[in-house]
Amino acid sequence: MPSSNDGWSFSATAQVQRHRSTSTECGYIMCFNNSATAGTKMEKMARVTTSLGSNTISGCTMFCHLDAPANAISVCRDAAQVVVAGRNIFKIYALEEEQFVEKLNLRVGRKPSLNFSCADVMWHQMDENLLATAATNGAVVTWNLGKPSRNKQDQLFTEHKRTVNKVCFHPTEVHMLLSGSQDGYMKCFDLRRKESVSTFSGQSESVRDVQFSIRDYFTFAASFENGNVQLWDIRRPDRYERMFTAHNGPVFCCDWHPEDRGWLATGGRDKMVKVWDITTNRAKEIHCVQTIASVARVKWRPERKYHLATCSMMVDHNIYVWDVRRPFIPFATFEEHKDVTTGIVWRHLHDPGFLLSGSKDSTLYQHKFKDASRPVDKANPEGLCFGLFGDLAFAAKESLISGGGDSNRKPYGSGGDRRYPIFFFKKPDLTEQFAHESSALSVFETDLESSRMDWFVETARRYLLSGKPFGELCDHNAKVAKELNRPQVSTTWTMLRIMYSDPGNLATATSISKGGSIPLMNSFNMKEIAAGGLGSESRLDRGKGEIRQDTIHLDPGNSLINNNDENEETEGSEGPADYLFGDAELEDDDLYPMEHENPTAEEAEYSLPQEAFPLRHEIVDNPSVPEHLQDKVDSPHVSGNEAEAVCLTPIKSFSLISISQPLYESHLPASFFSPVVREMLQHYAEAGDVQMAVSVLIVLGDRIRKEEHWYTSYIDLLQRFELWNVSNEVIKLSTSSAINCLNQTSTTLHINCSNCKRPMSNKGWICDRCHQCASICAVCHHVVKGLFVWCQGCSHGGHLEHIMNWLKSSSHCPAGCGHLCEYT
Amino acid sequence: MTACVRGAVLKMIKRTTLVDSRTSVTDVKFAPKHMGLMLTTCSADGVVRIYEAPDVMNLSQWSLQHEISCKLSCSCISWNPSSSRTHSPMIAVGSDDNVNVGGKVQIYEYNENTRKYGKAETLATVTDPVHDIAFAPNLGRSFHVLAVATKDVRIFKLLPLRKELSSSSGPTKFEIQTVAQFENHNSQVWRVSWNITSTLLASSGDDGCVRLWKANYMDNWKCTGILKGDGSPVNGTSNQIFNSPLGSANQTIQNSLNGASAGRYFFPPLDPPRAGSRWSSYAQLLPPPTLIEQTCDADSVNSQLPHPRRRYTTQPENEWV
Repeated sequence: MPSSNDGWSFSATAQVQRHRSTSTECGYIMCFNNSATAGTKMEKMARVTTSLGSNTISGCTMFCHLDAPANAISVCRDAAQVVVAGRNIFKIYALEEEQFVEKLNLRVGRKPSLNFSCADVMWHQMDENLLATAATNGAVVTWNLGKPSRNKQDQLFTEHKRTVNKVCFHPTEVHMLLSGSQDGYMKCFDLRRKESVSTFSGQSESVRDVQFSIRDYFTFAASFENGNVQLWDIRRPDRYERMFTAHNGPVFCCDWHPEDRGWLATGGRDKMVKVWDITTNRAKEIHCVQTIASVARVKWRPERKYHLATCSMMVDHNIYVWDVRRPFIPFATFEEHKDVTTGIVWRHLHDPGFLLSGSKDSTLYQHKFKDASRPVDKANPEGLCFGLFGDLAFAAKESLISGGGDSNRKPYGSGGDRRYPIFFFKKPDLTEQFAHESSALSVFETDLESSRMDWFVETARRYLLSGKPFGELCDHNAKVAKELNRPQVSTTWTMLRIMYSDPGNLATATSISKGGSIPLMNSFNMKEIAAGGLGSESRLDRGKGEIRQDTIHLDPGNSLINNNDENEETEGSEGPADYLFGDAELEDDDLYPMEHENPTAEEAEYSLPQEAFPLRHEIVDNPSVPEHLQDKVDSPHVSGNEAEAVCLTPIKSFSLISISQPLYESHLPASFFSPVVREMLQHYAEAGDVQMAVSVLIVLGDRIRKEEHWYTSYIDLLQRFELWNVSNEVIKLSTSSAINCLNQTSTTLHINCSNCKRPMSNKGWICDRCHQCASICAVCHHVVKGLFVWCQGCSHGGHLEHIMNWLKSSSHCPAGCGHLCEYT
Repeated sequence: MTACVRGAVLKMIKRTTLVDSRTSVTDVKFAPKHMGLMLTTCSADGVVRIYEAPDVMNLSQWSLQHEISCKLSCSCISWNPSSSRTHSPMIAVGSDDNVNVGGKVQIYEYNENTRKYGKAETLATVTDPVHDIAFAPNLGRSFHVLAVATKDVRIFKLLPLRKELSSSSGPTKFEIQTVAQFENHNSQVWRVSWNITSTLLASSGDDGCVRLWKANYMDNWKCTGILKGDGSPVNGTSNQIFNSPLGSANQTIQNSLNGASAGRYFFPPLDPPRAGSRWSSYAQLLPPPTLIEQTCDADSVNSQLPHPRRRYTTQPENEWV
C-alpha cells in the first residue's frame, strides 16, 4: 500500500516534537522504504523514535481462531506481535503479512492456576519483553518474555481482594504499573519491589479502568461503576485531585487523547461515549456520541484527532470508529465478529490504518481500515418534502446545490481539508473522507395556483354545504369556485343545479353560468363519453328493449342535440371544447344507447352497492320525496349529455330544456343523472380533489349515495389544514354512521364533587360519599349541570345566566354570605 | 433539541428510546392517523418494526407490535395512507441491497385473520437499490399510487383485484401497472415526495435538481418543472428567465388558464431544451451566506423578487395561450 506509506512518513514527521519532549526513548530505528520521502525528510525522520517501528506496516484484513474466548488483547511496541488473554487463553501471535502465527503459549503447567485467568493484559510500550495481566482472582502478574524457562511468570502481586479489572503501565516510566480492581482500590507497583508502592482508595465503587495520562507524567484517570471519573496525582495517594460524574451508571472505560493533553474519552453503560476537556476548572463535556449498546472499550485512533474506536459489552458485536464531531453516524464500522468484541487496540501507535480486535467468538482479527464498511455511504444524502401548502423543501450537500454557478467555492475535499493537518497536502486518501458535513436547505414556493393549497383552504371555508335550498347552495359554491379561478369546478356546480333543480329555478342557474361566460372545458365529459362508449359495446344487447323505446322517445331531443353540437362547434373556438367533441365523435347512434347503459355499466365497474338507481325505483320515490326533491323529477328528462351540452352553450340550452320538459316528465327522473354525477365525482376524487367530491355529496344530500372513503379522506385533509370547524360540519352533515360517530368519541365528561373532591359516580348529581348535591346554583338552588360560574372571593356561584341576572340587580352574593361579588 | 413550528420555537424533549434494532435504522415513519399513534422503523438487517403508543398522553411507552422480516436490508418504508375500510393497512418497503437480484420493493399487508403483516406483492421490475419510496395520499381512490426512487423515478399503480370468496383470508392481490419511468436525472434518485393532493410528485437526485412530475387527465406523467438549489437555470435559457420573471402578463394569463388541481392539465410536447424554460426558481439559499450574496445579484437583475423564499413558477407555452 504505497499511498499510505507516504501518509505515514509525513505524519511521522509531525510526531517529532512530541517525542522530543519525552526523550527517554531508545532505538532510533528508521524506515526508508519509500525513496520518495527520503532526501529532505531524512534529518527529521532520524529523530523519530517509535513512530514507525522497524518497517512500515502492511497487511490485510485477516483473522485466526483462538481456542477460547478472548478477554483482552494488547500489542507489542513494534506492532509485530499481539498478546491475547482470556479466562482460558494466554497466547502471543505474530502478525505477518497475511496471517497470524502463534508464537508462544504462556499458559504452561499441568494445572493452570487461577492467576492465568486474565481479565486484562498489557504489553509494555517500552520494554518488549514485559507484560502484565490482571487476573480474575485479584492477582496482578507480570511476565518476562526474556526468561529462558518455559514459565515466563515474573512477579505476582496478590494484594487486591477481588477481580482486577485493569492494569496499566506508565507510558514513560519503565517500572511503574498501575492496577484497578473490583474492590475499589487502585494500586501502584514498582516492578523492582515485591509489593505495591501506594494504594489509592477511590472511596467509591469498583474501579473499571485506570489510564495513565500520556503526557502528564504524574496524572492518571480512574473510572468507577457509580459513574464517576477521578483524576489522581501518582504522588498523592491520600485523595484524588478532581472528580466528576461522567455517566449514568458504570463508566467502563476511559482513554486519554494521544495528542491533546486535556482530552479524555469515557464510555459507559448508558451507551454514551463522552469526550471531556479537563483543562478547564470543571471538566467540560465537549463531545458526546450515542451508541446502541453499553460501551466496553474506547480507543482514540492514532493520527486522527477526532476519531475513536468503540466496541460494546453486549448485544452489539460491531466495532465502530466515530468522528466525534459527527456523533450520529459512525465513520466506519467493522462487522466481522460474531460475538461480543472484548478487546480493541490500534496496531501501531502512529498508524491509523489497522485495528486489532479479540472477541468472545474466539477469533482474533486484524481489520484494515480501508476494508471497513462506511455507514454514511448507505445513508440517503438528500431530503425532499412537500409542505402542506405546496411549498417544497430540498436539502442536499452544498456542493451539489451551489453547483456550477459558483466557481469561487471550492468543492469540498479538494485539498485544504480543515480536518487534517497541513502536511496532508497530498491528495487525501478517499477512505479518510467523511461524506460532506454540511448541507444546504432550499425552500421553493410555488406560484402555480393549482400547486399551492390556498384554494383548498379558501374553498373549504367559503363553501356552503347546508342551511339553504339546494339551488342556492349550488349557486353560492359556483360563485366561490369562480372567484378562486376554478372555472371547471364552478361550472360543475352550475350543472348540478341544472340537473337537480326544478325548471323554475333553472333560469337563474343558467343566467349565472351565462354571466360567468367561462368556456367550459370538461375533462370529465370526455372521460364519461369514453367510458360510456365502452359500456355500450359490451352491453348493448342487454337493455335493448328499453333502449329502443327511449330512442323513440328521445327522437326530438336528438335533433336538438345536433343543434347543440353545431352551436358548440361554431361558438366553441376555444381549443379545449373543440378537442373534446372532436375526439369523442358524438354519433347519434352511439349516444343514446350509451346514456342508458350507464347505470348498469356503473354498477359493474365500480362495484357499488346495489343501492344505486334503477329506473323503477323512482315511481316509488316520487310521492315520498319532499318538495324540492320532487322538483328534480321534472327537469332531467334530458339525457346527461344534453345537460352537459346545456352548459356548453348555456343560452340555447335553456330553451331546449323548457321545451322538452313536459314531454318526458315521467320517464327520466333525477336519479337518472346519478351515474353521470357519480362518475364525475369519481373523476374529481381520483384527480386529487376530494374536496369537490365530498362537497357535492353533501350538497346533493339524499340525491346520491355516499362514499365513506371520500369523507374520511376529506376530513383528514381538513384536519391537517386545521380547519376544525369545517371538518366538524362535514362530519355532522354526513349521513354515514361511521363518519358521524367520529364526533361521538372522547366525549366523556368527568365530574368531581365540589364538596369532597372525589369523582362522582355516573348515576346522578348527588355525591355517593357526602350525600350532597355537587354544585348547586345559589340563585335557583338546582344542580348546575353545565357551566358553573363562581365568585373567586366567596366561592359561591351557579348558572351563568342566573348569576348574571342576579348581579345586575344586586351586588351582594346570592347565597347571602354578605360578600360583595363582582361580575365582569 | 428545538423545532420551529410556524415561528414558535418548540423545545423537543426526548420521551423514549427505541432500542430493538441491532443495526442501523434506516427509516422511520408514523402510520396514518386513522390507525392510531403508530411508528414504523426499518433497519439494515432487514427487519421492519411497528410500534404503538397505546396512550397518546404517555409517549414514553411504545410497545413493539410487529416485527416483519424482509430478508433484504431495508432502506426506506412508506405507509399506504388510505383510510378506507376496504384497504387493510399496508406498508411498502424498499431495499438498497445490491447483492441479491430480484425485486427490491416489497409490499406488506395486514391480515385481519392472522393479525400479522404478510407479504402481498414484490415489485419484480425494480431490481436496483431503492433509496426512497412514497405512497401518494389516497384521497378516496380505489387504487394506490406508489413512487419509487431508484436509479430512476418510477410511478406504480396498484389496483386491488377483487378478492375471491375462497381466498378471502389470503393477502390482497394487486394488478401492478408501471405508470411512468423517468431517467431524466441521469443519476441516482434519492428522494421522492408527493404533495398533499397527490397531484404533484417531486424527485431529487445526484444531479442536484428537483424535478416535478404531474399527470394529465389521461394519466400521462410529464415533467413540469426542474428546480435547481441555487436558483440557476437548468438548461441554459438563463437570460430569458432572469429578464422576464413572473411577469405580470404571465401572471394574468396563468390565472385565467388555471383550473383546479382536478382541472385540466395540458402539456405541450416537452422537448428537453424547453424544459428549463417552463419552470424556474429564484431567490436565495437559506444557510450559506456566499449564496445569498450571489442571489442578491440575481435580485438586482430581477427586482420583482422581494420575497425571502424561492419561488417556482411556470411560464405557459405560447402555442396554447
